Amino acid sequence: MPFTAKSGKFNASIKTVTVGTGDKAITLGGENVLPFYTFDAPIENAPKVGIEITDFGMENEPECVKKYYEGCTTLADIAKKAASFEGVDFLCFRMEGGDPNGANKSTEELMAALKEVAEAVDCPLVVAGSKNAEKDAELLSKAAEAVQGKNAIILAAREENYKTVGAAAGLAYNQIVGAESSVDINLAKQLNVLLTQLGVNASSIAMNVGTAAAGYGYEYVASTMQRVKAAALSQNDTQLQMPIITPVASEVWGVKEAVTTEADMPEWGCQERRGVDMEVQTAAADLACGSNAVILKHPTSVATISKMIKELV
Amino acid sequence: MYKVTFKFENSEDVIVFAAFGENLLEVARKTNVAIDAPCSGNASCGKCRVKLVGGTLDSKKTRHISDEEYAQGWRLACVSKICDNVDVLVPDIASAYRSRMKVADLSSPDEIKIFDDLKGQVCEAGIALKNDMEVVSIHMDTPSLDDTMPDNERLTRAITEVTGMQIVRIPYAVMRKLAVVLRESSFDVQVVWRRNANDVFVYDVLPKEKPVVVAGLAVDIGTTTVSAIIINMLDGSILAKGSSGNGQIRYGADVINRIIESVKPGGSERLQKAIIEETINPLIDTMCRQAKISHDSIYRMSVAANTTMNHLLFGLNGDSIRTEPYIPTFFKTNSMYTADIGIRVNPCAHIIVAPNIGSYVGGDITAGAFVSMLWNKPEFSLFIDLGTNGEIVFGNSDFMFSCACSAGPAFEGGDISCGMRATDGAIEACTIDKETMEPTFTVVGEEGTKPIGLCGSGIIDVIAELFRCGIISPKGKFIREGARVRHDQYGIGSYVLAFEKDAGSVKDVEINEVDIDNFIRAKGAIFSAIRTMLSYCDFDISMIEHVYVAGGIGSGINMKNAIRIGMFPDVPLELYEYIGNSSLVGAYAMLYSSESERKVYEIAKNMTYLELSAITSYMDEFVGACFLPHTDAALFPSIID
Repeated sequence: MPFTAKSGKFNASIKTVTVGTGDKAITLGGENVLPFYTFDAPIENAPKVGIEITDFGMENEPECVKKYYEGCTTLADIAKKAASFEGVDFLCFRMEGGDPNGANKSTEELMAALKEVAEAVDCPLVVAGSKNAEKDAELLSKAAEAVQGKNAIILAAREENYKTVGAAAGLAYNQIVGAESSVDINLAKQLNVLLTQLGVNASSIAMNVGTAAAGYGYEYVASTMQRVKAAALSQNDTQLQMPIITPVASEVWGVKEAVTTEADMPEWGCQERRGVDMEVQTAAADLACGSNAVILKHPTSVATISKMIKELV
Repeated sequence: MYKVTFKFENSEDVIVFAAFGENLLEVARKTNVAIDAPCSGNASCGKCRVKLVGGTLDSKKTRHISDEEYAQGWRLACVSKICDNVDVLVPDIASAYRSRMKVADLSSPDEIKIFDDLKGQVCEAGIALKNDMEVVSIHMDTPSLDDTMPDNERLTRAITEVTGMQIVRIPYAVMRKLAVVLRESSFDVQVVWRRNANDVFVYDVLPKEKPVVVAGLAVDIGTTTVSAIIINMLDGSILAKGSSGNGQIRYGADVINRIIESVKPGGSERLQKAIIEETINPLIDTMCRQAKISHDSIYRMSVAANTTMNHLLFGLNGDSIRTEPYIPTFFKTNSMYTADIGIRVNPCAHIIVAPNIGSYVGGDITAGAFVSMLWNKPEFSLFIDLGTNGEIVFGNSDFMFSCACSAGPAFEGGDISCGMRATDGAIEACTIDKETMEPTFTVVGEEGTKPIGLCGSGIIDVIAELFRCGIISPKGKFIREGARVRHDQYGIGSYVLAFEKDAGSVKDVEINEVDIDNFIRAKGAIFSAIRTMLSYCDFDISMIEHVYVAGGIGSGINMKNAIRIGMFPDVPLELYEYIGNSSLVGAYAMLYSSESERKVYEIAKNMTYLELSAITSYMDEFVGACFLPHTDAALFPSIID
């Protein structure tokens, strides 16, 4: 008797969300199979890779990243350069300096920086906040206004500030609302319910269900992503069918494997290699668990992950 | 030494002297001034608010008191130290938990209906409504120089003649009074005894002409509330009924805090004193007065309580209940006597204890499950006891599963800023107008009683209504503004049910986001426990054929609202039945009917205990349920308007 493979195609599918405008616009989601299960059904929109820069320019970046941006003097230069690396699908601008416990830059200053970046590039844009929920309420609302017409992802509305961020990004300025929750399938779903009840279109939401560097409590992240995807596809849970976008760079470049210098830990080998390894491994795992987009920092990681996606999809 | 004057809204001042640096809450406890401190004085619950009206207190500011309130003199007693002569006003709400002992009016048929209903059901189940206590008139020959038999042998011989039993046990208390009673009544007496299989135990010997009452005491010891009845053991009638706050509450609101307190030096004695001398004995005094009987005519006692409460009642070490692998000292015991622990009834009275089946499923549940009669029916029934611990039983005549979840004291008004027990002044039901956002409510007590707080059923209504009217989000956060919605300096929203001028206390009656959050966790715990247990047994919510709801959370729960907020499963309303305080009714059954007592032991033995903490999916279910009504809205199809 011949072997007939049973298709693992689901009746439900992930919602598609288009980011950016014009030729370079990208589409996230749309698949009705598990991550990379192209043998069950074709995956129309391959996962996307973004590159992250911050309002500090090259100031806080590791040496191994700086060298790729040699000659860039302004944020606009940096943004253009970042967007030009091989495999970059979109650019993420993180307003790290807004953190009240850090540089505490003013909203005006950051909006000027954001506008500079947004005008410099024509690729799709993701605007990330300072990680401080209170400050982000203001920062991200203004950001949604500042990049009006760009169809950008505003990363992210959280339970504490979803009303302000959701209303500005999702209702007033027609951006895509990033919905960030902390590594729990129910909390992810609750935030989506709250946002849709606020009036945000379910097709204008991308989830960040939580993130971690591989080895740093990562199994919770993996399990949450997998279960979100399983519920979305096998149970047709419409409140979990939003595509997932996962910031990787902001996690991995702070862990000891990436920050310890070779002088301090000669037996660990090349520092750049370690940082890139952490980033690639984390991103590959995120994608295998169901992320539709990852945000990276090192051009080598971007190229590597992009190649991996091309070969698998 | 400084003079501390506690002032009250409706009673006389209490004056006490304290040393420099003494903690105000401790001073209040020592003086028996009731100030609610569910967190046991950690400054975490914010309920021990008092108002400084004279002098100064060395008092830290906490997040529970706004700047404005601090300026008005509001302080938390637990963080206040004595440094001056002070006058402190204790608001009603701070002492409301103690809520004056309440004695029921037995002329109202509602009060005894549940007991009568039970008797009917017990009979239907083929269980005899009788016990082994009897009063029999005994005549003995008067002793003479020719008949020199001692008194106890004379009594024994007379009893043997009547009963045919060779062994008659006469305890010390009877022995002590025997000579006088026999002679005063010319050896014509009435004897109260218990007839066992092998012997007769004599409880009392009384003069012939005296009317004899053979009474029994049934007590339900809840973590927050204690209720009791005195019954006539011969015909089962109710002679008195009363309730009171559990005096242990000032040592912590939940069982875990109580156990922690009990292992401190002298803690076990303090807790035992609080439950017996400060709670049960005063309740007995009051009920005996009402029933016009003497304490000595209470010959038997039954207790239904959760495992921690029955351990603390007997002064047993509760620490092993709290720590893995959670092993209590006893599940079932029949060797406890009232004299052992100083309960003010007849010293020979034996204590029937409703059996525990796990560390967190105690006698209150086995007694309650008996009352629900689910063990005698083919339908798959759910029994939910809403208390500080939520306990759930699922099953039918073939099998029974039980589990417990920690709901916290929210259903009895604890952990809620304006929460209180269902006594006078408690808002017990509420509706809110969707347009104007104005509330309409009913208050426990006589016509015209002003509201001072919210009891469990009131909280369910208020939250369900706030949610229905779109005033709060499914996360319990305020999303509409209005005259009754306000935000404090930290942005915490609240809804005012009654402004100070309309309230019966010195502050507004309101519910804030923290209260709502606490309550959502409590209801989430209940619902997720139900779901987890059902799925463990491979059952689905749609298979539930009957739901019994027990607990003293108010005169009754609005089931529709309880479903609306996702506390109870969305099954047709007619499947729900509120059975009141089933723990007390169960204690009554065990006291009055020996066969019922044995049946409860049998139920306990046949019930499978499910430890929720060992089921990994419980936490997921819990987080999913901490949302109004639930993260998975498909579980609540009926409430989609």
